[in-house]
Amino acid sequence: MKRYTLLAGFVLAALGAAWAAHAADAKIEALARSCNSCHGLNGVSVGASMPSIGGLSESYLYNVMLQWKHGERYSATMGRHFKGYSDEELAGLAKHFSALPWVPVVQSADARVLAHGKEATERCETCHGATGGQPDDKDTPMLNGQWAKYLELELMKYRTEGVDMPHKKMRKNAQKMGEDADVAAAAKYYAAQPK
Amino acid sequence: MNRFDRRAFIKAAIAAAPASAFLGLPQTAHAAAKARVVVVGGGFGGATAAKYIKLMDPSIDVTLVERNATYTSCPLSNEVISGHGHIEELQVGYDGLGKRGINVVIDEATSLDAAKKTVSLKSGKTLNYDALVLSPGIDFNYTAVEGYSEALANTTHPHAWKAGPQTLALKKKLEAMQDGETFIISVPPKPFRCPPGPYERAAQMANYLRDHGKKKSKVIILDANDSFSKKGLFEQAWKRQYPGMIEWVAGAEGGKVTRMDAKTNTAYTDFHEMKAGVLNVIPPHHAGNIARNAGLANAQGWCEVDMLTMESAVAKDIWVVGDATIHGDLPVYDAPKSAHAASTQAKAAAGAIVAKLNGLPAPEPFFVNTCYSITDEDWGFSVVHIYRVQGGKLVYIKEAGGISPINIPDEPQLKLQRKLEAEYAPGWLKNIMADAFA
Repeated sequence: MKRYTLLAGFVLAALGAAWAAHAADAKIEALARSCNSCHGLNGVSVGASMPSIGGLSESYLYNVMLQWKHGERYSATMGRHFKGYSDEELAGLAKHFSALPWVPVVQSADARVLAHGKEATERCETCHGATGGQPDDKDTPMLNGQWAKYLELELMKYRTEGVDMPHKKMRKNAQKMGEDADVAAAAKYYAAQPK
Repeated sequence: MNRFDRRAFIKAAIAAAPASAFLGLPQTAHAAAKARVVVVGGGFGGATAAKYIKLMDPSIDVTLVERNATYTSCPLSNEVISGHGHIEELQVGYDGLGKRGINVVIDEATSLDAAKKTVSLKSGKTLNYDALVLSPGIDFNYTAVEGYSEALANTTHPHAWKAGPQTLALKKKLEAMQDGETFIISVPPKPFRCPPGPYERAAQMANYLRDHGKKKSKVIILDANDSFSKKGLFEQAWKRQYPGMIEWVAGAEGGKVTRMDAKTNTAYTDFHEMKAGVLNVIPPHHAGNIARNAGLANAQGWCEVDMLTMESAVAKDIWVVGDATIHGDLPVYDAPKSAHAASTQAKAAAGAIVAKLNGLPAPEPFFVNTCYSITDEDWGFSVVHIYRVQGGKLVYIKEAGGISPINIPDEPQLKLQRKLEAEYAPGWLKNIMADAFA
């Protein structure tokens, strides 16, 4: 009998801890719900210019949101949002979305564009992996099955002179890409990769 | 599962929906009588509320009543009039919500009884509810403009301030304009649906005229108000893209249209009499008639609500969301009547309703809004609003939000900013529509 009581005590304690953790997360979950409006349910976007964010790494998400909030990274819209959140909330949101699975939205493109894209992404490989799905560190985002339109727009930011994009290497490499056609092909190449 | 467990689980679900692992609760957990929620109105507000209530507590019986089988989004409908979008891209049905276990009833809710907690439908049916979500949108006060009527709106003089057949009717009228004729837009007194909408419409109309050999034509905005949303951004865009084509007449300069003559296509204000090629009068509006008839609206015609939960200030167990409400950090920072505001209000109401039906306190809400406007190809901008609870009160966060930067000295950087937001607008619409209807 004593043993059962003890066991029940352990179970209750464990459940209690789980509930407490959820209570602490309640606010973050409510905040995360509002992200769905633009980034899709579970962070899987269905709009071509809006990135999927579910399953991106915690540190990438956190850093980008912090940089936007503090005006250290250019954004057209997001900076104005994140000035309304505490750093702790941004950390919570990064944790929330990084815990979701990365769901590539595989977009088709014709073989010529893909071949062009493969070539145009040669210097991206070192950090993002051959298909964009094997980033070499936790600060590098997944690109496979990301929306092509979004990737193209991000590359435009890196390629426009004087725009605050703090990642020097990324800026250098994006500017080294030749024509705008290279940019579109590179974006379509990653968008077409399932893994 | 005992009562404590169930409460804890629902609490987690309210917090964690829709990703929560707790959502797969065995049905025995909800053995108690099923709570019934009726949602009236299947626009952004109503559809989002129905979906999130079901996501947060699948045991709740949710019924959505909507009179049209197909919804047409108002956002991006100005672009349909100017020929840059197709109305089909703005349309969605209710199958997605049906698949989520929501009872979708295509019928018209004609009246409600707050004391008996019932909603009457045109078909003669009566629905009982434990909680009612009203998202009735707006209805128009045609009598405010002498000479205008609903019959004219549906035939020769569409306002197109609800997207659908009138959007296409106005498109036809624009296309039939002769070079040199004037397109007049009459803007009603605030508050009205989509605060930047009339000014975006002006740009889109000018866009069509400019690109179809009708550069001698003008767009004149006769405004009952003395200022407008994103004014600096619009004026910058108008000047760059449509120089000399768009004229804005403020209320103080006699912009308020009080009368129109449909036969001669003339608008009358206190100071002016203006003949139009196309006369587009947007009549003043108020909360949807069902809410007004039930006594839920104030003297100005809008529904007052608890700012944190969206529950009606005058009737228990009725939550009002969307354009019908007056919401925000009043009196200065009222929330715009926008799709995004309706969606965020619906999520707050859903959280409050699910909590209440489960005997729990309402979770802390969070309200956000983004409104994009597009004036030309690759030229868009936005306004962001964030409202948070501080000291038990809903507060507009001044440090955040606001409009896109107006002056960016470097031309390529300015063009980048405007292009990004022009591209974000359709991406936003796809996602927020899926968030409500899929």
